[in-house]
Amino acid sequence: MSRQTTSPGPAVDLAGVLAITLPNGLRLRLLRESGSPTVSYTTVFQVGSRNERPGITGISHLFEHMMFNGAARYGPKAFDRVLEARGGHSNAFTSNDLTVYFEDFAAGALETVVDLESDRMASLRIDDEALEQERAVVMEERRLRTDNSVFGLLEEQLEGLVFQAHPYRWPVIGWMSDIARIGRADCEAFFRTYYAPTNAAVYAVGDLDPQATAALVERYYGAIPAGPPIPPVPSGEPEQRGERRAEVRFPAQAATVVAGWRGPAAGHPDAVAMDLAQVCLGAGEASRLRKRLVHGAAVAVSASVGWGWRIDPGVVLAYAELAPGVKPARAEKLLFQEVARLAADGPTAWELRRARALLRSGVLHDLGTHHGLAQAMGHAEALLGDWREAGRVLERYAAVTAADVKRVVASYLAPELRSVVTLVPGAAR
Amino acid sequence: MSAIVQPPVTRERLPSGLEVVVAHRPGVPLVAVRLLLRAGSSLDPAGRFGLASLVASAVRRGTATRSGPELDALVESLGAELGAGVDEDAASLGFSAPVEALAQLLGVLAEVAARPAFPVGEVERLRRRELAGLLHDLDEPGVVADRAVIGAAYGDHPYGHPSEGRRRHLAATRRRDLQEFHARHWRPSRATLVLVGPVDPGATLALARRRFAGWRGEPVGDLMVGRPAPPVPGVLLVDSPESTQAQLRIAAPGQPRSSPDHAARVVAGALVGGSFTSRLNEAIRVERGLSYGVRARFTSGRAGGLFLVSSFTKVETAGELVSVAIGELERFAAGGPTGEELTRTRGYLCGLHPLSLETHEAWCDKLGEVELYGLPADEVAGFTARIEAVDAAACQAVMGRALSSDHRVVVAVGPAAQLARQLERFGPVRVVPARSVM
Repeated sequence: MSRQTTSPGPAVDLAGVLAITLPNGLRLRLLRESGSPTVSYTTVFQVGSRNERPGITGISHLFEHMMFNGAARYGPKAFDRVLEARGGHSNAFTSNDLTVYFEDFAAGALETVVDLESDRMASLRIDDEALEQERAVVMEERRLRTDNSVFGLLEEQLEGLVFQAHPYRWPVIGWMSDIARIGRADCEAFFRTYYAPTNAAVYAVGDLDPQATAALVERYYGAIPAGPPIPPVPSGEPEQRGERRAEVRFPAQAATVVAGWRGPAAGHPDAVAMDLAQVCLGAGEASRLRKRLVHGAAVAVSASVGWGWRIDPGVVLAYAELAPGVKPARAEKLLFQEVARLAADGPTAWELRRARALLRSGVLHDLGTHHGLAQAMGHAEALLGDWREAGRVLERYAAVTAADVKRVVASYLAPELRSVVTLVPGAAR
Repeated sequence: MSAIVQPPVTRERLPSGLEVVVAHRPGVPLVAVRLLLRAGSSLDPAGRFGLASLVASAVRRGTATRSGPELDALVESLGAELGAGVDEDAASLGFSAPVEALAQLLGVLAEVAARPAFPVGEVERLRRRELAGLLHDLDEPGVVADRAVIGAAYGDHPYGHPSEGRRRHLAATRRRDLQEFHARHWRPSRATLVLVGPVDPGATLALARRRFAGWRGEPVGDLMVGRPAPPVPGVLLVDSPESTQAQLRIAAPGQPRSSPDHAARVVAGALVGGSFTSRLNEAIRVERGLSYGVRARFTSGRAGGLFLVSSFTKVETAGELVSVAIGELERFAAGGPTGEELTRTRGYLCGLHPLSLETHEAWCDKLGEVELYGLPADEVAGFTARIEAVDAAACQAVMGRALSSDHRVVVAVGPAAQLARQLERFGPVRVVPARSVM
């Protein structure tokens, strides 16, 4: 068989990172990387749907949209116009845990970007007109990604089953009735609480001088006052005492099955073992679910496992689009047999090598761009408490044993701990 | 500020006709590899739409010496996934893998390209899976719209069907169709192998020579399809009665990739619909909140291209969105861009250009594109100069040409009963069931 040279080593050299905290609490992590004459500038606010409450679900995401509508120095529409003219683009995303803004741009535009980002952190304008327009845009986004999407509908239902108490039970985009209800006062309170420098970190990677960039950031952000303490999140969840089920009727062409379990929290040592379990079960053509459901029994068109680290225990999600005419129960049986088999026997040495090799390629690929590196440091700090963890992940994968994978599958993916949602095609019209 | 660093390229045409292009690029210890074949879906025979795509997927399902599962296991245990893709002009196989796995993986790539076995059971399962996949695509209104607009814009031209094919054609496709298509079109003389990464060019060329030595086939000339006729104007309504949102597309004639005004099309496309500050995004999302997104661009293949607008909105505002979009396009064609818009868009495109070439994979794709479309050697190095040379008149001219000839088609996917009234003002309306698009 082949030579295995998946020696771990650090995924990336982060020794050159300049890490400082301004007196107002803003954390800076700056890294010079050669290669391309560009910089990626990422701002992470430690707020997501996890910090919301019923009645204003979706406010983190709606607010993300509001951040592009003008501040004191740069008014409405100016943010993207100025940035694009300087050879850059910006975007943002909201997750259960975080709201992340980024700009990727030609290195010469760095000061402009620092100016733009500090302007909206210091003095965002929140007006009714912008709120109404963004509300309409977000409603279209929800219609696109959830209401008219098989996966979107099922995922939303599944999270509502997997979580009963934790805020992860509602969707990041929020319920339509809450999107309609959120008011300007809600947005203003949200901004004051969560968008202060105390709750933010900046990661800049690329063709830059770390010391000079730190001075620049301090000059632009230094006067922004620190914020209030962040309200605690009610992160408890009652013990699950048996399988939970839901059914979605939708005018689809064929059935779909999605199953979910609560995994470990990002900071738990089991999180890396779950990454390997995910690859063994549901990533790639040679994964167990794909071999059994798609290539073997041909009951499914696709089969995969999704799993991403979250601050509190998140969802391990198995998804299978079934072949026409196949009943969900038949596909479920095979799916759960494969999970049970991995729980009983653990992965083979070959499966473990394969999982490590695929994860290594993925990590190297992700860390191969300025943007990827900035995002990885940001996620590592927000989820694990230390940006340096971005460079340690391959060593952590290398330390996972077959027994670890077996144990996490057996303990987290047990039958009595799962939730299942089936999409049943509605009658054809 | 440093400029984009162009990796040194070493190339060789093997005796079989296979063109090998190696670019040495320092950085991440991965190597990106693409095998491009001029065997795209425009070569699908009549009644067998989807065949080119099926062949590209099926070669991975077994060779003379290895079964499909054995290939999967070998490739993935080396930290790679063997991808296959087909567009109207080309098929491609490729992977991104740790450098140390290249020797083995290049052997696998040569094996699947040259000696696929098309095992009976695997081909049959794959064909059924593709058929079922198309059925699932019916539940994705955006995918239905993308499929429908291709047919509406290109008509009977070989570009006029989606690469994934049609259900009734796939249902009739047999293993011998795959074997014949492969034997006819997958020839080294019509293929290019591109490798990019921290590799030694000489050793990598030698490796490619060894691994692909067994791939032979009589050289055949290029099978370029003719220029597509401009679209027949009208409105195509794809009925999806349960949707609460309408997927919308507007198409107009474009140009082939190699046509000289490509840079003007890039600038005009970005200005009209390629960024957050584009005219369409301003008018549709920022000013009116009609949609979460709108994009417009010129697409271009070897034989021809389109100007294409994509958006979506709730069913009630579909007519308004199309009206606003067409109004903005006509305004642009009549008046061209302002000086500020032009400066901003050129700055945007030139600033982002290095970001589009940050990885080995991106370079691999770019070098493949240069080969496929026969682009000049300064495609990358001359980008900024070409974009900076585009003036307002050139932008106005390419948009004017797309819109002036009245060959515009509008495609909508949603409840036809509610959409027909809103869209009839844009041309004669034809309603089809969603299944007919598949």
